Amino acid sequence: MEKATVVCPYCGAGCKMNLVVDNGKIIRAEAANGYTNQGELCLKGYYGWDFLNDTKLLTPRLREPMIRRSKGVPFETVSWDEAIKFVAKRFSEIKQKFGPRSIMTTGSSRGTGNETNYVMQKFARAVIGTNNVDCCARV
Amino acid sequence: MSVSLDDIENSKCLFVFGYNGADSHPIVARRIVKARQKGAKIVVCDPRKIETARIADQFLQLHNGSNMALINAFIYTLIEEELYDKEFVAKYTEGFDGLWDVVKDYAPEAVEAATGVPAAQIRQAMRTYAGAESAVIMWGMGVTQYGQGTETVKSLAALALLTGNLGRAGAGVAPVRGQNNVQGACDMGVLPDLFPGYQSVADPAIREKFAKAWGIDPAQMDPEPGVRLSLVPHLAMEGKVKAYYIMGEDPMQTEADTSSVRKGLEALDLLVVQDIFMTKTAEMADVILPATSWGEHSGVYTCCDRGFQRFYKAVEPKYNVKRDWEIISLIATEMGYPMHYDNDQQIWDELRELCPIYYGVTYEKMGELGHIQWPCPTLEHPGTPILYTDLKFTAVASGKGQLLTHQWRKPAELTTPDYPLVLSTVREVGHYSCRSMTGNCAALKALADEPGFVQIHPDNARQLGIQDQALVWVESRRGKVITRANFNERVNRGAVYMTYQWWVGACNELTQENMDPVTNTPETKYCAVTLKSIDDQNWAESHAEQIYQDLKARLRSVVENAKPAAVAM
Amino acid sequence: MNRFILADANKCIGCRTCEVACAVAHRPDGDVTGVSAVNFNPRIHVVKGGDISTATACRQCEDAPCANVCPNNAIRREHGFVHVLQDRCIGCKTCVVACPYGAMEVVTHPVVRNTGAAVNVLVEKAQANKCDLCYTRPQGPACIEVCPTEALRCIDRNELEAMSAEKRRRAALDAGAQLYS
Repeated sequence: MEKATVVCPYCGAGCKMNLVVDNGKIIRAEAANGYTNQGELCLKGYYGWDFLNDTKLLTPRLREPMIRRSKGVPFETVSWDEAIKFVAKRFSEIKQKFGPRSIMTTGSSRGTGNETNYVMQKFARAVIGTNNVDCCARV
Repeated sequence: MSVSLDDIENSKCLFVFGYNGADSHPIVARRIVKARQKGAKIVVCDPRKIETARIADQFLQLHNGSNMALINAFIYTLIEEELYDKEFVAKYTEGFDGLWDVVKDYAPEAVEAATGVPAAQIRQAMRTYAGAESAVIMWGMGVTQYGQGTETVKSLAALALLTGNLGRAGAGVAPVRGQNNVQGACDMGVLPDLFPGYQSVADPAIREKFAKAWGIDPAQMDPEPGVRLSLVPHLAMEGKVKAYYIMGEDPMQTEADTSSVRKGLEALDLLVVQDIFMTKTAEMADVILPATSWGEHSGVYTCCDRGFQRFYKAVEPKYNVKRDWEIISLIATEMGYPMHYDNDQQIWDELRELCPIYYGVTYEKMGELGHIQWPCPTLEHPGTPILYTDLKFTAVASGKGQLLTHQWRKPAELTTPDYPLVLSTVREVGHYSCRSMTGNCAALKALADEPGFVQIHPDNARQLGIQDQALVWVESRRGKVITRANFNERVNRGAVYMTYQWWVGACNELTQENMDPVTNTPETKYCAVTLKSIDDQNWAESHAEQIYQDLKARLRSVVENAKPAAVAM
Repeated sequence: MNRFILADANKCIGCRTCEVACAVAHRPDGDVTGVSAVNFNPRIHVVKGGDISTATACRQCEDAPCANVCPNNAIRREHGFVHVLQDRCIGCKTCVVACPYGAMEVVTHPVVRNTGAAVNVLVEKAQANKCDLCYTRPQGPACIEVCPTEALRCIDRNELEAMSAEKRRRAALDAGAQLYS
């Protein structure tokens, strides 16, 4: 069994916890002695990790890149290469035709972390050429 | 927040305004309980008798939507009773005279009707707050999710400045951020007017610095602030926003006035959604890019007290998914801007170099359990647990704290005989945000599930012929949803409360967009609704269950029916 | 004297972490991912009123009414608590009626039963559900371990004595002060 130290992905309290992993699967969460949580967790910290296993209790995890060729038709699963090329081409066309400010991007206040948020705003500002980047800080 | 979570526990007085820690941050609420055990005075201002109100020395149960009137009466009291710290005000602040001009009409006795709080209680609260050796004002969405949110925050800051409660142990201001990394997203410049490290996009020297680091011509950089997320639906309908790249958010669930969000997303030429779950937003996308989840990757978050903390990878991702920043880098490269990172630390080190206030926060310094609070400008610097210890408020050139307040404005949509109740949206302790994560967790789902709840005072419910746990209609000018009545004696009469993660009892079908003019935060704490009892409860139960099962099946089929093009043909 | 779990209402924030911990600790597999609304049967309950939030569980009475009324002798005082022998429980609910604290519940769960004719059938087995102080759990009661505000404690004779002594002291000194003022 291994333990990985993580920060709880839910509220902003910043609780440190250990995910106990057996055979590549998480089996439980334990409180760690972080600065903010001092060895305590709430119910979301202790019992809020099993979504990772795609339980489909509410909604399924996304497993493949998908494209909808036109509005209203079902998604097709595609390769990463095709998905990336499709998005890049469409962004480039829209930027060309309507200008950089016609494209909006978001960061994420949730599980992805600071590194991704930095890269997303860099993408908006350096690649698209707009300050249209924001997060759900208001909900 | 200007303080650390430790300061909350060690303060002599906690002034809690529009913040329900027990439901939104149990581990912060724990610090409030500990402060109480250590003898701190606790004053709570909230329309509901929240858990903290139960253990408070004083509970001011104000009317929904009267925040600014109450705070102006606080300021009035501090000045009129000469409770404020004259020396601190003279040395470190400016704007005192202007303050009185606004609050002179807000004597506690004059606002009793507007706020519902007896004048004596208002005066007593300020005597407690001003008389404490140290005090922290804590606030949450009960302040900011109003059309007057920004102005209200400034007036709360004025209370701290007037009493010298800033820049020392146990004294400060503590807006408690909601999501695990909402502080981090802001820290990283995911804001339309600021680069990472709170550096202005309007400053040519800053633009040049970033342009140089990113290898582009500074002239390519947009000098104008971008648009805010809450404005996108309207801009899309006007044809001004054509493409929307949404990462890890579900505005169809979390933003106010869902039908307006839906129309906005439908008007787009291109919607790209990058997420870990099929959400109601992802369902509408043209392209879905599946990402790794928390647990499957590592990185750094910022918690609510500005503390940077590392998190590690626990398990390998099982599906054909990629790390969010890798996906963005691949798109950038394909668009002609080569972008490549080998790992999280490379990105972190790039941004540290560009952000003086984070420069000293290295991966090594954070380590496994470390918590380093910005600003941390040098490698030797230990981080800054308390802001403003030098009592210089550098947001303005004079370095003085700005004493500001404003006239109270009523909320935008007041109750009428047709819509006689106030609806305020709040948090559920066992669920989080759009619920795509917690709704897929067995125990959390067992505790609370669809169609969600509407908290109502038993007296109001009886007038409407509504039983506890019965299904009811909640209706506003924008929509109508079915949900379960939850009798709650701690709720004020005349208002009902719903949490925002339910699909069936979706309160954002009801809320309205009236936004704070500065932050564009919608007024989700106040709109007018009516509740209607349902005679045929059996029908109602099966109807609610049907909506839930249909929606679940629909989202599942979107994923399951997606096949490669060759197979589909 | 039996020990029992007591919540301090001045610390409880009503978050229900104890309820989930209890339900998970009493699953044979101890696996949170198997919990559902149907089998969620915590033996500790958060109660919220107008002014109180607290958690309630069995007091492990010394002269336990539940044990006294049980027609099948399924409830006994052993291992330092009031113990339900599930093999003997017939699900008659007499103990539920007798308990003055509402701490006893009869719940059902599916079990495979061999009918004797080499046929296994799924039947509903009733069981009297109450706090057992997690007596088979080496770390002790799960609810106490997870409570984020440390509102839950396991009270033994010494602690009960200490609580009473403190109350005596406060009552005597306060009353004394009033008498002579």
